[in-house]
Amino acid sequence: MRIEAHALEHFYGHEKVLNGVDLVIEPGSFTAIIGESGSGKTTLLSILSTLLQPSRGSVRYDGKTFGELGNIDRFRRHNIGFVFQFHYLISYLTLRENVALAALDQTLVDPLLEALGIARLEGRYSDEVSGGERQRAAIARALINRPSVVFADEPTGNLDTKNALGVYELFKRFSIEGTGFVVASHDKKIADYADIIIEMEDGVVKQIHQR
Amino acid sequence: MITPLKALRKNRFKTALIFISMSVSIAAIFLISAISGGVVSMYSSMLKTDGDVIVTQKGIADTFFSDINRSLVSSIAPMEGVKEVSALILGAAPVEPLPIVGIYGVSENRFKSYTLKEGSYPSAGEVMLGSKIYETLKRPETILLSKQTFKVSGVFKSRIGFEDGGVVMNLSDAGELFHKSASIFLVSLSDLSRSDALVAEINALGNDLEAKTTDSFIDSYNQFKIIQTSSDVIGAMAFLMGILGIVSMMSMVVNDRKAEFGIMRSVGLSSGVIIGRLLSETLLIAIAAYAVALGASLGILELIEHADKFQGYINGEITAALMFNVFAVSVTMALVGTFLPALYASRIDPMSLIQRGGA
Repeated sequence: MRIEAHALEHFYGHEKVLNGVDLVIEPGSFTAIIGESGSGKTTLLSILSTLLQPSRGSVRYDGKTFGELGNIDRFRRHNIGFVFQFHYLISYLTLRENVALAALDQTLVDPLLEALGIARLEGRYSDEVSGGERQRAAIARALINRPSVVFADEPTGNLDTKNALGVYELFKRFSIEGTGFVVASHDKKIADYADIIIEMEDGVVKQIHQR
Repeated sequence: MITPLKALRKNRFKTALIFISMSVSIAAIFLISAISGGVVSMYSSMLKTDGDVIVTQKGIADTFFSDINRSLVSSIAPMEGVKEVSALILGAAPVEPLPIVGIYGVSENRFKSYTLKEGSYPSAGEVMLGSKIYETLKRPETILLSKQTFKVSGVFKSRIGFEDGGVVMNLSDAGELFHKSASIFLVSLSDLSRSDALVAEINALGNDLEAKTTDSFIDSYNQFKIIQTSSDVIGAMAFLMGILGIVSMMSMVVNDRKAEFGIMRSVGLSSGVIIGRLLSETLLIAIAAYAVALGASLGILELIEHADKFQGYINGEITAALMFNVFAVSVTMALVGTFLPALYASRIDPMSLIQRGGA
């Protein structure tokens, strides 16, 4: 899915956090958005992934505006995955139930848990597993409906180096299989895995590097 | 249903508060409706015993104030289709040490409608006590009624609480006590098809009389309407209090679970799914609260029925119809009380929910 953002602006109260962002995310690409805290990465990611409405500007998904997408929940469920910094697994559900929560095809749950190496933990709750295992479950939840693109906001922010690299490797693996990734991070290592690197500063795109 | 149960278990404290709030509201509705229904039912049953047609003083709001000439019994008795006419005086007076007791002066032909447990029907200067008041007064041989002493001639058992906790005496003694001839006539018919014609004939006897079929009397009796209206108003207030309790608690629950709902929206679950989940959670609480409230209400009514303090006058009944109605009210309360907070939660941007909700 090709995503085009045009003249995006966003305010939290009177504070302007995005100030005229234009960019294009090509289908199946691995895009990294890097920048310091407060540069607008999370807000941009939230808007691109339809989780937040921009104050101004527009986003097109394969040429369609937000208003033309129809039922936005349905669109998101079929086309978009999201991985948060703090895993955000629902605490009263097991890892498997978290992944199965939005699955359009329940038969894909077990193979995916297997592929991500957490099948043996499927009956455990999020407070019964390690940080890396939680994040793998969160990634499985994002991938379960084979979305066109997965957005990840600081997905390794709470992980040690070994687990962080494991997450990047997973992203790369699924990226090669055709899933697009847009990863916001202040971790420069993400640049080693990305095809496109978007550098942000104070709510604007400072530079775009293509590899 | 497994997921809603898990969610309720996770939020135990607030689930418990909603459960208690709903249980109290539902029990209040049960008790108010059962007690008011019981009062109406007891009095109706009393009037229906041997009474197909009831005759009272015209235009009175309460049978206690009715005063009709008992000699008119002899005019009604020979009418076509009449099987029997009995006269009653309905009154209330203190019986030491009880502050107020129902007193029933009845013509001799009505004594047979009381099932004697011991002793005999009362003659002049005597009374017959209902088994409940007989035990409350600790099996007295005499009672002091309006400064007059009456000998207890017998004890009867009645399933009607007003009678079982009351005093029955002959019509003459009651007439002297309450300074009236009779309160009402109960007319039993040998031919029920003549009831309307008979009502017209009795009404033609004099301007001061008003005859009605028993059913028509019960339907139009002002005191019953007042009891029913009061019950409906108090029941409605309990219902509203229940809804307000649920709304405020569910608002807190929704606030606590914003991040969870944000996550659900972020994975593409619709607003309808989130509303449905919250509604199914409160529905489970409502069903449990209903069961507990029903059990508690039955227990409380049983206690009230046997409490000496109430003299057997409060005799609530929970009918199948009442159970069904209160169940419908409970479900409505749960759904209405949850819908607004659930709708609020489902309308916010997923990311805003997650950011406001915390981890």
